[in-house]
Amino acid sequence: MKFVSVLMVLLFMSMPLTLSAATDEGIGERAVIVANPGTDLWRQVRQRDMAIEGTSQVKGVDSGILINPQADRWTRFRVSKLVEYGQIVLVGVAALILLFYAVRGKIRIEGGLSGKMVFRFSDYERVLHWVLAIVFIFLAVTGLTLLFGRTLLIPVLGHDIFSVLASSSKEGHNLFGPIFLVSLLLMLFSFVKRNIYARGDMTWLLKGGGMIGKSHASGGFFNMGEKTWYWIVILIGLVISASGLILVSPNFGQGRLIMELSQVVHASTAILLIAVSFGHIYLATAGTEGTKEGMNTGYVDIKWAEAHHDRWAKQCHENGKVISAEDYARLQGKTGPASVTSSSSAGDGARS
Amino acid sequence: MEFIDGPLWYFSLTVFTIGVIWRLVPLIFGKRTTDLSVARGSAASGAVKTVFSRFIPHKGMASQVSLQIIAGYMFHLGLFAVLFFAAPHVRFLDEHFLGFSWTPMPHWAFIVASQFAFLGLLMLWLHRVSNLVTRLISTTGDHVGSILTFVVMLTGCLALLESFEELRLLHRFSVELFLIYFPFSRLMHTFTFIPSRAFTGAWFGRRGINS
Repeated sequence: MKFVSVLMVLLFMSMPLTLSAATDEGIGERAVIVANPGTDLWRQVRQRDMAIEGTSQVKGVDSGILINPQADRWTRFRVSKLVEYGQIVLVGVAALILLFYAVRGKIRIEGGLSGKMVFRFSDYERVLHWVLAIVFIFLAVTGLTLLFGRTLLIPVLGHDIFSVLASSSKEGHNLFGPIFLVSLLLMLFSFVKRNIYARGDMTWLLKGGGMIGKSHASGGFFNMGEKTWYWIVILIGLVISASGLILVSPNFGQGRLIMELSQVVHASTAILLIAVSFGHIYLATAGTEGTKEGMNTGYVDIKWAEAHHDRWAKQCHENGKVISAEDYARLQGKTGPASVTSSSSAGDGARS
Repeated sequence: MEFIDGPLWYFSLTVFTIGVIWRLVPLIFGKRTTDLSVARGSAASGAVKTVFSRFIPHKGMASQVSLQIIAGYMFHLGLFAVLFFAAPHVRFLDEHFLGFSWTPMPHWAFIVASQFAFLGLLMLWLHRVSNLVTRLISTTGDHVGSILTFVVMLTGCLALLESFEELRLLHRFSVELFLIYFPFSRLMHTFTFIPSRAFTGAWFGRRGINS
């Protein structure tokens, strides 16, 4: 009797295994559902909207969170929205600029450039501008490589080459990020005084910087458009830098949620700044005649100054800061010794 | 890959070593005309004084060259720290040249030092091309030297993770180009700035010129 009882117990314990094996082999027709005792638990965990923090022996930020559903939403947003819309914004802005150029062409100075020049930017200001520009372009290229690499570059380069590129982009991006912040702060302090909005700036805006209507849009040393670009760079640049520092230094107690939000803010504001920078680069090079010389040589044509910054040009005339084409050529080392004052002294008074 | 780690590495080291010696020997041991003037001061003290005094700009010039001075120190000190105290470099020097090592700087210090070096070098080069005078006196060689230095630093920092052989080889290849170019360029000022200052200082010191 005792033996029969033991046999019955063993038979009972082996039943699920036997039935399951029979189902796997397709012998039995009846499907036997063996419930995973953890199913309900995991379903409860996964179906929460927000991360539930419990307790853990491991001490650290977010260490009590078993599953963070927010991370799934962030991943989906990053892959489907951020990457997709980011590409649309950048390609769209570039296309619009090209279209504008095709329709409008290069905006030339009425009557042509005179050859007479006026000092505009010091060596330090130009160095600062170009440091910021070079670092910004480097960060933009490496950042976009990291953001769009999976969708755009892997199909072209393959996983092996892209992994090398992504690793170097990440290291370079993290290294140059703080340099961008330092350059940005130097730019803020060096240019802030001349970029405070003043009376007359709104008129410039209403006339579209001279592109709307036929009347002239008056401007000072910096016009409304340049001031707005300056504040966009400074303010968005600071947001990008702050969110970048949160991402690059994960050991200051910020949790995953803050990191995810920082990544979204960092990427979206960077895309915005890159898109706006297309317009700045366009206007400074192919878009308008005589603009790029200001940041290349420090001097601009007086006709250009009169067209875009008439109030400042008037001051230059009054202070006798306009130099002849011959003197400018000498300053550039194209002919004999210059007969005018040095670039720094010539410029300081004229910029007031 | 083997070419970069092998023959090209030894070739570049040979060119660098022979080239530097070839440039320095005549400079230090070359025959000079005897100064027949009556000595008004000590040439030796003038030499020592000038070697150190040139580290600080002249009072009258300080405000005009502040950008170059600040950027110059940022670049040179940053590069020195990265070159001799970065952990991969300390390990490399120990394994391939010296047989001993020293405590490398921590990772965060490496990052800060390289950021100083990058920002300094960028500012110096941009000043070189922006300023009317420095632009005119700069040669193609100066720009090549600056760009090569930048590329060496950049490839080194891109390979910081030490996970990809390709990035290490890219860095090594750029270093090899740098070493080959070094003796034939103004990058030689790494070795010549002290003898040059000393020579000028001795000449001034002997004539009693206070500079």
